[in-house]
Amino acid sequence: MKLFSNTINTLENALNYSSTKQKVIAQNISNADTPGYKVKNVSFKSELTEAMSTVTGKQTNSKHMAIQSSGRTGVTITTDRTTSYNHTGNNVDIDKEMSDLATNQIYYNAMIERISGKFNSLQTVIKGGR
Amino acid sequence: MTISIPSVSKVFQSNTAVSAPSTTPYEAQKSFASVLKDSIEKVNEAQNQSDVMTGKLAKGENVDLHQVMIASQKASITMSATIEVRNKVIEAYQEVMRMQV
Amino acid sequence: MSIFHSINTSASALTAQRLRMDVISSNMANVDTAGYRRKSVVLQPKEGNFSSFMSQAMSKQSTGAGNGVKVSKIVEDTETPFKLVYDPEHPDSDENGYVELPNVDPLREMVDLISATRSYEANVTVMNASKGMLMKALEIGK
Repeated sequence: MKLFSNTINTLENALNYSSTKQKVIAQNISNADTPGYKVKNVSFKSELTEAMSTVTGKQTNSKHMAIQSSGRTGVTITTDRTTSYNHTGNNVDIDKEMSDLATNQIYYNAMIERISGKFNSLQTVIKGGR
Repeated sequence: MTISIPSVSKVFQSNTAVSAPSTTPYEAQKSFASVLKDSIEKVNEAQNQSDVMTGKLAKGENVDLHQVMIASQKASITMSATIEVRNKVIEAYQEVMRMQV
Repeated sequence: MSIFHSINTSASALTAQRLRMDVISSNMANVDTAGYRRKSVVLQPKEGNFSSFMSQAMSKQSTGAGNGVKVSKIVEDTETPFKLVYDPEHPDSDENGYVELPNVDPLREMVDLISATRSYEANVTVMNASKGMLMKALEIGK
């Protein structure tokens, strides 16, 4: 019996992405004046990275560290080293970061709202509408 | 007007054919018991997961708030689902016990 | 780091920008102090310590988002020369009657101050956004 649908899984992954994105935006904006800082980005490749994240190293000894592809499922952080916007070598576009911040906040709130709704409807169904 | 008997009996036959591979009461009980055991184990697992997440949150470890909240919700929903199933089963049992033989 | 990772990141930037403003106001205050050298801050991305790298490598929860910014040092500007002003009455004047006034350019300081203020405001916005998101996450299942 599967209680939690795929939608809930998708919403969870979306929330993970969004919260990582928030951390990255905070980091980028806080380093907007740092010389030589290169902007970070989050990419959300659900299918491929999810398939890859299941790859684990074989442990021949229980004391070995587990080898597995790093990063949480579907979310990877990349650094853009190709551009430079001013003489200090910094490439943070503060306007882009601020608009990303607003977008991300709304996206996160929407995802929370949806997952909350999902849980509530599950609760209602289980209690038989009482 | 007459109803052709063979067709009726055919329906009858097909009906009995469907219910033919019936499970014995013992088997039904066994599979029900395993389902119950499985779901209770699931509840326990979900509760443990929620506890681990809550502990991490309290200790300030690397965990996201939404993950903690989702884990706790999942635990509470699996728990209430199981409780509801249990209530229904007990209700059915009591109904059977009250039956006039 | 904990759930307050993004708030801590913004907080580190607030600290850094405030220190930058302090240095700027020190420069402005000493605009006429003979012998004062203009100071400026050097910002640098904050790195985690060993244990944070270790826990990141061990857990699948690794983010690698960074830990914000810090002021690595406050340097004195030795590049730009002092402004030499002829004022033999001044007690700090040299044998030719010249006083070394600081290499502080008020215009440049004001521009820096505006830049620091804007950065500070941006980080406050980010911090409020992070706070709003955490509060929203607490509402899951309500």
